[in-house]
Amino acid sequence: MLEYLTFGLITQLFVNGILFGTMYGIAAIGLSLIFGTMRIIFLAQGAMIVFFAYISYWLFTLLGVDPYLSLIFVVPLSLLLGSGFYSSLFKEAAALEDKNISLLIAIGLMFLVENLMTVVWTANPRSILTTYSSFVFRPIGIIIPFTRLIALLMAVLSASGVLLFLKKTLIGMAVRAASEDMESATLMGINPHWVNVVAFSIGIGLAGIAGVGLATIYSFDPMYGFIFAIKALIALAFGGMGNVFGALLGGIILGLLESWASFFIGAGWADAVSYAVFLIMLMLKPEGLFVRSVQTA
Amino acid sequence: MGNHLLEVKGVDVLYGDVQVIWDVSIHVEEGTIVALVGANGAGKTTLLKTISGIIHAKRGEILFSGKSLTRLKPQEVVDIGISHVPEGRRLFSNLTVLENLKLGAYPSRARPLFAESLERAFSLFPVLKARKGQKAGSLSGGERQMLAIARAIMAHPDILMLDEPSLGLSPIFVKTIFELIYALNKQKVTILLVEQNIHQALKIAYQAYVLKTGKIAISGGGDELLADPEVQKAYIGERWSKR
Repeated sequence: MLEYLTFGLITQLFVNGILFGTMYGIAAIGLSLIFGTMRIIFLAQGAMIVFFAYISYWLFTLLGVDPYLSLIFVVPLSLLLGSGFYSSLFKEAAALEDKNISLLIAIGLMFLVENLMTVVWTANPRSILTTYSSFVFRPIGIIIPFTRLIALLMAVLSASGVLLFLKKTLIGMAVRAASEDMESATLMGINPHWVNVVAFSIGIGLAGIAGVGLATIYSFDPMYGFIFAIKALIALAFGGMGNVFGALLGGIILGLLESWASFFIGAGWADAVSYAVFLIMLMLKPEGLFVRSVQTA
Repeated sequence: MGNHLLEVKGVDVLYGDVQVIWDVSIHVEEGTIVALVGANGAGKTTLLKTISGIIHAKRGEILFSGKSLTRLKPQEVVDIGISHVPEGRRLFSNLTVLENLKLGAYPSRARPLFAESLERAFSLFPVLKARKGQKAGSLSGGERQMLAIARAIMAHPDILMLDEPSLGLSPIFVKTIFELIYALNKQKVTILLVEQNIHQALKIAYQAYVLKTGKIAISGGGDELLADPEVQKAYIGERWSKR
């Protein structure tokens, strides 16, 4: 059996996986940053991604703005919303020992955004159809949709941008330091609210980029985000909490898993397989695939 | 009385409902080394945390150059010139040695002096220069303690608070660390030292306080306490008899 499994097909599955996975990856990077400094899983990340997809959709249908051009508006808006959300909703709770309160606020925010979107845009799926939506590249016989390729590019660029920021700037170092040991970071003169704002803004900023990518690829509805947040969480678990590069790789691994599972087992199985692998992963290597071991110092 | 650089006046500290510091007053003169000694759980670490703003006193006042810092947050305390090397070093182990030092100079008072501070840190701790690209987590225990102290002096502190700097180090490194503390003090850094290594601490201290279950039990000059039969019996003698 499996004689239909040609080199072209394997490559295609591989490419599909990577194209899917990078979207999970940038959502996971956002989760990773927010988790790093605030120690909560920001479950509203998926709803925020869909929200920005709708913004891009609105700009396209109402004003005729090309979705990629809408990034000029969506990215600053998402950064602003990120810092606004932190200062208004999370600032008080972030200082508390009990992180469950921040988590509950995130869940509340998720429901609020989802339901507001249902009111404004209805529960019907929406999608953006541009002249290039069905355009595909066919290098060496495999199919690469143009919008997916651009989404991949956006994901890789934004992930590299975030990594550079974290590695090269002083505030980026402060974010990394705070992710490791917040109390020790404050002894260095680092203001916890400031690193939280930065992590939050970048996290939501990445949701903005993912939202635009999503809007050009899939049809989406207000409740779509939750699945996305769960997928990002799985990617995060693969990569290891608080590991930015790992989060991107985790997303890609998840994308590959889904691509292979839906082909070899059946499309309906893709989610079941990824959740199962997620659970097995948590049982066997809870610290993530790319973390050598839990370091204490 | 000379001018106190740091003054803790009648401080009470509680963890929840449990009081761990009772009406403690200490003062630190500029340019001196002050030792805070006592058994485990006596409240030494808590007192340092209270000074650096990690915890806040229920009652009492903490003055630095006459200004109150009782209500300041840790990031504000370090910015006015008090650096705290916490117990257990608390390095950022996934960051490199150089990155740790850069963050040490994060307070606005220290940023313009970064190049100069880095040179000072590297001349005091040459081993850190050799390891500057290495992750802090990969250093040995002694090197970690050096990095923790170097990181703290990157902030250009007027007072350096050290919590158990000799803990877990080999005897040779303990000696090195105490020599370094002495050398730093000669460079006009005032030192507030918490130690379980009481004998060593009292030897270099100008002034010392013995904390016992959250209260000041005895205080006096370092030599004075070293010769005090009560201190010898209760703390130093006990340590010696264990060996």
